[in-house]
Amino acid sequence: MAEQSTVFIIDDDEAVRDSLSWLMKSAGLLAETFASADAFLNDYREDRPGCLILDIRMPGMNGLELQSVLKERRYRLPIIIISGHADVPMAVRALKAGAFDFIEKPFNDELLLGHVQRAIEQDRHRREDMAALYQWRARLDTLTPREREVLDLVVAGASNKKISGELGVSTKTVEAHRARVMEKLQAESLSHLVRMVISAREG
Amino acid sequence: MQRQLFALLLFLFLPLAQASQPITIGVLSHRGDEATLAHWSGTADYLTEVLPDYRFSIVPLAFEEVTPAVEGEKVDFILVNPAIYVNLEVRYRVSRIATMRNRWGDDAYNTFGGVIFARAERYDLNSLSDLKGGTLLAVNESSLGGYMMALREFKAAGIEPYRDLRDVSFAGTHDKVVMAVRNGRVDAGTVRTDILERMAEEGQINLNEFRIINEQTGEDFPLLRSTRLYPEWPFSKVRHTSNLLARQVSVALAEMPEDHPAALLGNYAGWTIPLDYQPVHDLLQELLLPPYQYSRQFTLLDVWQRYWAWLFSGLILLLIMGGLTTWVLRLNRELSHAKQRLEQRHALILDSVADGIYGVDTQGNSTFVNRAMEEITGWKADELIGKNQHYLLHHTRADGTPFPGQECPVYHTFRDDKPRYVDDDIFWRKDGSSIPVEYSSTPIRDDNGKVNGAVVVFRDITERKKAAEEARQHQMELAHVSRLSTMGEMASGIAHELNQPLSAISNYTHGSIRMLKSGQEGIRRELIEVMERVASQAERAGEIIRQLRRFIRKEEPERNAVDINQLIRELVNFLQPELQKAGVELQLQLEQGMPLLWAHDIQLEQVLLNLTRNAIEAMQELPKSSRRLLIRSSVLQTEVEVLVEDSGQGIDEAMRESIFEPFITTKTQGMGLGLSISRAIVEDHGGTLLLDSAAGQGTRLRIILPIEQRGA
Repeated sequence: MAEQSTVFIIDDDEAVRDSLSWLMKSAGLLAETFASADAFLNDYREDRPGCLILDIRMPGMNGLELQSVLKERRYRLPIIIISGHADVPMAVRALKAGAFDFIEKPFNDELLLGHVQRAIEQDRHRREDMAALYQWRARLDTLTPREREVLDLVVAGASNKKISGELGVSTKTVEAHRARVMEKLQAESLSHLVRMVISAREG
Repeated sequence: MQRQLFALLLFLFLPLAQASQPITIGVLSHRGDEATLAHWSGTADYLTEVLPDYRFSIVPLAFEEVTPAVEGEKVDFILVNPAIYVNLEVRYRVSRIATMRNRWGDDAYNTFGGVIFARAERYDLNSLSDLKGGTLLAVNESSLGGYMMALREFKAAGIEPYRDLRDVSFAGTHDKVVMAVRNGRVDAGTVRTDILERMAEEGQINLNEFRIINEQTGEDFPLLRSTRLYPEWPFSKVRHTSNLLARQVSVALAEMPEDHPAALLGNYAGWTIPLDYQPVHDLLQELLLPPYQYSRQFTLLDVWQRYWAWLFSGLILLLIMGGLTTWVLRLNRELSHAKQRLEQRHALILDSVADGIYGVDTQGNSTFVNRAMEEITGWKADELIGKNQHYLLHHTRADGTPFPGQECPVYHTFRDDKPRYVDDDIFWRKDGSSIPVEYSSTPIRDDNGKVNGAVVVFRDITERKKAAEEARQHQMELAHVSRLSTMGEMASGIAHELNQPLSAISNYTHGSIRMLKSGQEGIRRELIEVMERVASQAERAGEIIRQLRRFIRKEEPERNAVDINQLIRELVNFLQPELQKAGVELQLQLEQGMPLLWAHDIQLEQVLLNLTRNAIEAMQELPKSSRRLLIRSSVLQTEVEVLVEDSGQGIDEAMRESIFEPFITTKTQGMGLGLSISRAIVEDHGGTLLLDSAAGQGTRLRIILPIEQRGA
């Protein structure tokens, strides 16, 4: 599918971000480096998958601030916080604010790469789910109001007879609506239809 | 011209006139001056004739003129009625030389009386009591025949004229009395005997016009009368008149023939030897008249009448004095109240002050004390007043040495008359404990401005000292904490700084290893590049370490002269609460006269604090009774030793080797830096920190510092 995942590295220390980029490359991952949070924000587009490695202590906008900006913009890129040992309280705050993980300098490369892999995986899943959801919503929008009513009653477990009673139409008409709904939503079976409706609600 | 001639003649005859000495005879002029001169000039001429060396003349005297004339020696002889005579006799030593013989027709008699009469048609008036409610006219209050004699008769009849009669008045002369009665202006009158007869003879009245009241008869007295008889007028000499002249006049009068023209002119019949005037005395006594006005029983009224002016003045004076006394008493009472109030206020002020206040006299004894003084010192006022304050309160200095009285600042105050303030001293309580105090001592002066003692105001400064100590402790703790936190921050800063190159190195090398393991082709150039970056990151770490060293060297502390004993005392003061809390018994053995050290006092204090705290903590497990801490200072030849020894468990052999290493600790809480820092500080001062310990025998740490000269 679409684009390959990228590891976005933000650290004010050039050696650190360069060495991280080298480490990612050695593991076969694409990496892009930024010297500041602002530089990243100027460059990044939401549709680019991957994860973020963020130094919590930086001049200008620090890691925590960037995290809240991303949250405001509804960018859901997973964030791995890196920090020196004295920054534990800040790291805890970052985690509470929804960071994916937190790792102390200097890094254990296996550990860091493991986190990065998992973060990329999570991001990919999320993006697939989102795509499915958008597709579903697009299909749902093709239903007429009457078909929506029939769909809601079907998912609620009502029989055709009951639906015809509720809507004041014949059973035959109900069956015709139902067939249109199944077709428009590309549902293979009743159970498939119900599952899709429920997962779309949860998303 | 004629006048001048007369004057000349008078002048020529003057020596002749001088030859005859003028002699005056005062005569009571009871019938008027003209009548008097007419009656008595003959008698004067007679005497001048008989005694040619003298020239006698008559001076008529009204009743009121008699006494002044005698008193002022205006007359040489006096011819007055017997009552006046008696008075003059008593008061002015006048003495009678002859008594007149009165003449009536062919008879001569030497007594007379008074006659009370009314108009003849007043048939209602017969006895004296008939006159009650009526009016009476008399000659004069001093007239014997013309008033007193009648008065005596009224009184004898039980009548008080002034009370019982409507009016008693006086006309001045006999003749006026007679005429007033005749004219009906009064009911009755009284005159001496013979006045009526003579006036009738002279044709002025007719005897038939009158009736006599209480008429008396008998005693061979020819004239109308209403009273008893009294001796006739005496001729008397005044005191200054010579006895010789008096005798000559007396003889001349006695020898005057009964029918001498002078006697005829005077309506008398010559003179006899002076009579006894006792009846007159009786009368005057009875009537309580002068000179007997005092002889009656004195009644309060009399006293009042006679002395009212005196009594009144006396009374006024008494009232004024009473008033004054009351005023003075009240003033005194008010003053004493005011004084009392002042004293009360004084005492109230003194007692409400929280500071102790007491007075000291020049003997050094307390003169007064206030309540705060009693409360602070535990001594009662009566135990202090009159006692030597220095030996009660001030006998020993804070360091335990005796405080001689000669050095007491309070005594210096009144010796040199200068106020003093001592901000840190101790006073001793009754129970033997001491109180830290600050006090002022101010000289007090008596009314003459001479210093007669001092007032001492003192304050218990336990709280102040405690607060200062707490502030100091707080400050020390702050300094300690800030030192620690600086260290902490620095450590964290260093960690971060070092972390950056280390992280980079770690990332580069791990990445390279991964690359090499994967066996990719054509990465050699790239790997060399990365290895160069690794090397430069290692250099970066080295530079950080170098910078750190430079930074530490910059903090070279300043040194100054330090009294190690003073430092130890301050530390002990600072740690007092901790020692007490830990139940540690502290023993201080400080050698006197320690040399000053050239050192950084805060650092040395830090070392002492570390060692002492370690010692206190090392004894936590022990029973309280065996927690003992010894701090001892002493001088070794060229060094100073401070020893800190506890009675704790000691340090086992294994630990002993590494106890000075950083981050090695026997304590559950602690960084393990205390001893290592302490050793570093001591060594920095050119000294050594030694450990002397055996397990179970307590720990002994010895700080040995060289005695260095400044700048050495």
